[in-house]
Amino acid sequence: MSLTTHAPGMIGRMVNLFSQYGSLYLQGLYYTLLLAVIGTLTGLIISFVLVVLKTQKIRKKDHVLSRLIVRTSKGFAQTYVMLFRATPMMVQAMIFYYGLASMGFRLPIFTAGLIVVSLNTAAYLTEILRSGLESLDQGQEEAALSLGLSTQQTYRHILFPQAFKNMIPAIGNELIVNIKDTAVLSVIGVGELFYAGRSVAGATYQTFEAFLIVAIMYLIVVMIAVWGLKKLTQYMGKNPTDVLKSESEGTL
Amino acid sequence: MIRLNNIEKDFGEGKVLKNINLTFQKGSINVIIGPSGSGKSTLLRTLNYLEVPTNGEVCMDDVILTEQPHILRRARKDAPMVFQSFHLFNHLSVLENCTIAQRKVLKRDEKTAKDKAVAMLEKVGMAAFINRKPAQLSGGQKQRVSIARALCMDPKILLFDEPTSALDPEMVGDVLTVIKTVLKDNPDLTAVLVTHEMHFAQEIATRSIFMDHGEVIEDRNKDDLFTNPQEARTKQFLKHN
Repeated sequence: MSLTTHAPGMIGRMVNLFSQYGSLYLQGLYYTLLLAVIGTLTGLIISFVLVVLKTQKIRKKDHVLSRLIVRTSKGFAQTYVMLFRATPMMVQAMIFYYGLASMGFRLPIFTAGLIVVSLNTAAYLTEILRSGLESLDQGQEEAALSLGLSTQQTYRHILFPQAFKNMIPAIGNELIVNIKDTAVLSVIGVGELFYAGRSVAGATYQTFEAFLIVAIMYLIVVMIAVWGLKKLTQYMGKNPTDVLKSESEGTL
Repeated sequence: MIRLNNIEKDFGEGKVLKNINLTFQKGSINVIIGPSGSGKSTLLRTLNYLEVPTNGEVCMDDVILTEQPHILRRARKDAPMVFQSFHLFNHLSVLENCTIAQRKVLKRDEKTAKDKAVAMLEKVGMAAFINRKPAQLSGGQKQRVSIARALCMDPKILLFDEPTSALDPEMVGDVLTVIKTVLKDNPDLTAVLVTHEMHFAQEIATRSIFMDHGEVIEDRNKDDLFTNPQEARTKQFLKHN
């Protein structure tokens, strides 16, 4: 009863809020998407390096210096992944931004936020990529090496493309998580969508309506991302026969 | 030519190769037979350092193999391997499987690599399948592509690790015919084959080696090993195969 009575009023207030602060919300959404997309892509690039370091083999026959380098870089990658996965991104953002500031390095807020998202994402994607690589048949690596490809070429041309294909759903999930989790960057003042909602709520005291708009915007963006991811996964997951058939029918 | 001096391999649970001394001459077809677990495949894999021997040295054209990347890469491009389970690159087409190493290792341009690949695929009867992915091929077809892929590297030595073991019986003949043709057409090519196909081994071998428990038990010219084995263990093995 009360819902039916108040709903039109609430919707009306939301419409009013959006018409008044729409540009602020859209700017917040823009930064949210920018942080999520660039952060995920940068994290992915960093994860390619980290996974190579993390999956190195320490061989007794290697020179002592070479073993030391391998052990150190592997240890670095392991520690990095552990630290970033074991602490909340909000805490990382606070330490990174204010920690650097206390040392005299004051980064622009957006840049600091982007770096935190990228570093955090890299830790998660490293583990995803590692499991993707481990799921590949070991023969793929052996075949590449037996043809004279270097280790780097083997990773770049043989292993990563195959692992990447298997990783696409996980990368997509990470993107979706990032769209939502960038909200925590509001603690250092990054003007993303949650921050925009908080600003509107502070200015109007209509907290419920202000954040309902934020929720709806997150929901729409995430639904679009999920749909896009599903389409991409369907395409990438097609068996080669389907892909060839589609190519011959001119549908791709 | 490839020479093995006092090769030993230990995976930590006892030696799987014990004091192996062998020389494979240019143009020879060397067949290695023996029961499962005798060390045949491990020996083959030490030839291009896919397995690094615990002791001893592998000498390829007077270059002693080490784990130095440039030495390894040169040795491996000269001595590619045809695997039991094919190991075609699943994300690449048949053509790309045959061009990738040419382009990245031999630094051939795309056209040269493609022409070479098509020529080698024609040789193994797979030129009509260049745009297929490995998942669209039968086991026999995959193995033929794998042979073409190795031939594209203009190898000096070709290593075959039980090339027909993973095939359906009706496909074995096709692949063996391809191997026979390839070796006949490339008289300078040194081949080292690990196989369980005794008739095939007897037919093509210029040298036959019997291994058991990580040791070379008998090493004979041509098909003498099959027609006139000297060692009791060889006789026993051949009797049951």
